[in-house]
Amino acid sequence: MKETTVERKYLPEMQQKEMDELRNTVKVASEKIIADNIARMKKADPHRPDAMKYFDDIANLFGKRQQEIEAEKAKGKKVIGYMCLFAPTELITAADAIPVRVNSGWYDTSKLGDRVVPVEVCPVIRSTIGAKMIQLSPFLEQSDALISVLTCDGMTKLSEILSDQKTIWGMNVPRVKDSTHSLRFWSDEIKQMKTQIETFTGNKIDRKKLKESIEVSHRATKVFRRLQELRKGNPVIMGRDAMLVNQAYSWDDKVRWTENAEKLCNELEARAAKKDWVVSPDIPRVMVTGTPMFWPDNWKLPTLVEEGNPQGIIVADEQCSGERILNDPIGVDEWSMDDMLNAISERYLMASTCPCFTSKDGNEDRINWLITKIKDWNIQGVIYYVIRGCMLYAMEYSRVKKALDKINVPVYYLDTEYTREDVGQMKTRVEAFLEMLNARVDF
Amino acid sequence: MAGEIIGDILRLTVLAGLGVAGIAAVLLWKKNLATRVTFLRFVIQAVSFAALFYVFSYTIPLLYVLIFVFVLSLFLGRFFCGWLCPFALIMDLESLLRRALKIRYRLIPDRFNVALHKSRYVIMLVFLLVPVALFVFEPKEIMVSPMMAELLAGHYRIYNVLIDPMIPFIVPWSNVATVNLAGVNFAYPYGLDIVTFTNEQIGLYLMAAFVAVTLIGAFLIRRVWCRFCPTGVSLAAINQFKGFKALPLLYVEKDEKKCTKCGVCKRVCTVQVNEVYEQKGGKIGTSQCMLCSRCVEMCPYEDALKLKLGNKTVFRSRNWLKQPNTD
Amino acid sequence: MITVGMDLGTQRVKAVVLKDGQVVGRSQAFAGFDPTKATEQAVAEALTQANLKLSDVQHFAATGSAMDMAPYEHSTVSMMSADAKAGVSLIPTARTIIDVGAEEARAVRCDERGVMADFVVNERCAAGAGAFIEAMARALEVKLEDMGPLSLKAERASPINASCVIFGESDVVSLIHRQESKPEICRAVFDAMADRVSSMIHRLGVNPDVVLVGGVAKDVGFVASLNRKLGLTVKIPEYPDYVGALGAALIAAGRVKGGA
Repeated sequence: MKETTVERKYLPEMQQKEMDELRNTVKVASEKIIADNIARMKKADPHRPDAMKYFDDIANLFGKRQQEIEAEKAKGKKVIGYMCLFAPTELITAADAIPVRVNSGWYDTSKLGDRVVPVEVCPVIRSTIGAKMIQLSPFLEQSDALISVLTCDGMTKLSEILSDQKTIWGMNVPRVKDSTHSLRFWSDEIKQMKTQIETFTGNKIDRKKLKESIEVSHRATKVFRRLQELRKGNPVIMGRDAMLVNQAYSWDDKVRWTENAEKLCNELEARAAKKDWVVSPDIPRVMVTGTPMFWPDNWKLPTLVEEGNPQGIIVADEQCSGERILNDPIGVDEWSMDDMLNAISERYLMASTCPCFTSKDGNEDRINWLITKIKDWNIQGVIYYVIRGCMLYAMEYSRVKKALDKINVPVYYLDTEYTREDVGQMKTRVEAFLEMLNARVDF
Repeated sequence: MAGEIIGDILRLTVLAGLGVAGIAAVLLWKKNLATRVTFLRFVIQAVSFAALFYVFSYTIPLLYVLIFVFVLSLFLGRFFCGWLCPFALIMDLESLLRRALKIRYRLIPDRFNVALHKSRYVIMLVFLLVPVALFVFEPKEIMVSPMMAELLAGHYRIYNVLIDPMIPFIVPWSNVATVNLAGVNFAYPYGLDIVTFTNEQIGLYLMAAFVAVTLIGAFLIRRVWCRFCPTGVSLAAINQFKGFKALPLLYVEKDEKKCTKCGVCKRVCTVQVNEVYEQKGGKIGTSQCMLCSRCVEMCPYEDALKLKLGNKTVFRSRNWLKQPNTD
Repeated sequence: MITVGMDLGTQRVKAVVLKDGQVVGRSQAFAGFDPTKATEQAVAEALTQANLKLSDVQHFAATGSAMDMAPYEHSTVSMMSADAKAGVSLIPTARTIIDVGAEEARAVRCDERGVMADFVVNERCAAGAGAFIEAMARALEVKLEDMGPLSLKAERASPINASCVIFGESDVVSLIHRQESKPEICRAVFDAMADRVSSMIHRLGVNPDVVLVGGVAKDVGFVASLNRKLGLTVKIPEYPDYVGALGAALIAAGRVKGGA
């Protein structure tokens, strides 16, 4: 790792020895948790699809993918990390660089982050800071530059904090979505980012490369949507497995991910044809919405739902760590540079349901998304998951609750932290909620 | 006589056959859902072009053609503009050329675009008044019946302006405004009327200027003429009246709940209609829309947009990724 | 048909023996370090009251935060479902049931069958639960049982912060330093708690038939404060602390009938 000599604005000085010790402890613990999570997922579905093996491999953050990126880097490729989904990954791949998402899901590092920011701050931010402090996250360490989209307050300051050690490109996102000048502003940001990426990587993003890159994304979205379609019917895949597959896209190679997700879909389709359900079709179908759940540590809610008594199954989510990654295709009308860039900026800004946005009807897109999902995916209950510190999601709950009450779908507000200690408490609540869903079905 | 009728029927059959064959070919070979309807539209536009040429090869009064189109639009809205108009075909072909050259299109500022749309009523009014004015300024005795005769059948027929966009690129007749090349008469919409309403010498220059401006305009701005074409008024105005709320029977409908406001519909619209994006679901009410269905085709969310005929869905938005997406 | 409901709370374990829909025995014990053993003890005592043997019991159902530690072969019921079931069986008009226990406060909204429709749990903080009173009693050097009656003597209310036990305690100390009288401070404590609990109820939507159960329901001071806050008289069943166990026993009976 290249140590910069510039004065650190935020991050405290840390002894190399302490850093190494902490990193090793957390890494060992984390590897165990990854293995444990996967083991539990295997246990929940004794004849798990064979194609999941690939994703289990990729899920090991300190494994195959890290080495691969390292090898690519040695060949001179640049790695560009990003924090929010608004980063235009198509531009990154078009410039022959590797996009990776670097948000941290480690619980242990959030405590380290407390040394820099107060505990009230969103744990994703704290954990990412902590991971940087001890250089834990392979992808964060490997990235040569970071795209930080200033969506929420946390992300805004996180980019500042990380700028101590990394090249950060901030992208200013307009908070009001549906005005023409917002879109124009955002398009300019995207064009600016294109220039920045081009200068940084030394590779020109031309029309052909960008088109190829968009087509790669199209294929990924296609298979992604196929997977979600499969979850519409009786369950053929555990929600956790599907969530892991979706999330793996954000650090895996796009083309290879698509191939393997296709294999998974083929396998699942065969199962659906044989009516080989993964769990009884009668158990409550749950949707998760709210703050992201980052692999590996922040996996407690899906685990609780799918291992609970009574058991539930997650068939859909509305999270930036899940279905929002790939749901929207880039709608290119004419394959000119201009139109492609416009399409990219629209896809990233306008289709997003992040609560950091508002419009003249508020964040209505999100309500619409939820209601459509609930109807089409036949969802019986919604868990509104909030990690403490995310004001935006917490505040939007009342509106979602009202909207869902209107269509008579129960929603439960579950708030938690980056901690393992409250699993017992969460279990009580989740199970009570599932019991309630069962009771509603019985009637 | 009988021979002529049989000949007509044969020609009509061949034309219809070609149309059906073209549609079938597109449906069979064009697997890409994101451009399929566009291809279909080109086939239909070509057939319509041929059909109009055929219609004009008879000396049927143009008024009948206009009445037919008018009645059609009563039920199908501006379907004619979107799918059948020969002038639109010329502009679409130019767009194709521009796309092939990878040159980007320009947009008209939204407010100006809406102003243009509204001004088509004024333009139409002006066009209607021109013959009256010319008639008045000519020192003639003002009598009602010759005036009516002049307006409906005379030199300055008011409806000429309305029928102008329907003049195909190739016409069976020849006059001052046509160019004969290798035995084929080439014409251009509005050409004859420009020449008629002014005097012949200036008229030809004016016409050349008009051709140049519209060609360049349509090359840079998609369907530039459609944004204020006065014919659009006759086709659109009827839907604005309260008694005709149920009309037109062909319309685009939006399901607000399925929409994520991703904005694709707004960007792909060739005449920059904002209503599809902004309206909260339901029937898209604006007569700016020509039902070309590009937005329905490009909307990536199942059933969010629908082209409906009465209660029947003709065509709905789908996940167009399901087929390989190449252009 | 004989069923037993066991409620393994954070401080006390409760057991209820139900015979054909009638409560025939009830008993409780301190959970202490070994809730399993304590429950066994409570169940034994309740069965003795009912003149029944362990082998007579057709179904055991456990609820409470330590339900997984319950003895005997049993099924589990969530606390919210148990509260809803028992609340409606005791007071048929009940639609909102508030359960304030030692460490947790819950509010459940249910339908006429006692099936829960919605619920809220206090957020990982004991300020809305019994432990708060306990801590404050310690700070005031008043016996826990005396807190309630004492608070009723207060003439006015002095506000304190109820977001957290620790901060609440420091608020109480500052009231002491301001030389407020004990009854007033007691009332302040209950008002603060009632504030928390009523905001939970408001999130569910208030309806006139609010039933208060759980150990804290026995505290007159808290009940008075909550009534004031909600502007209605909450209904309290007999033996409010056994409601969870009763609910479990009732659901157990249903499970026997249902053949599950």
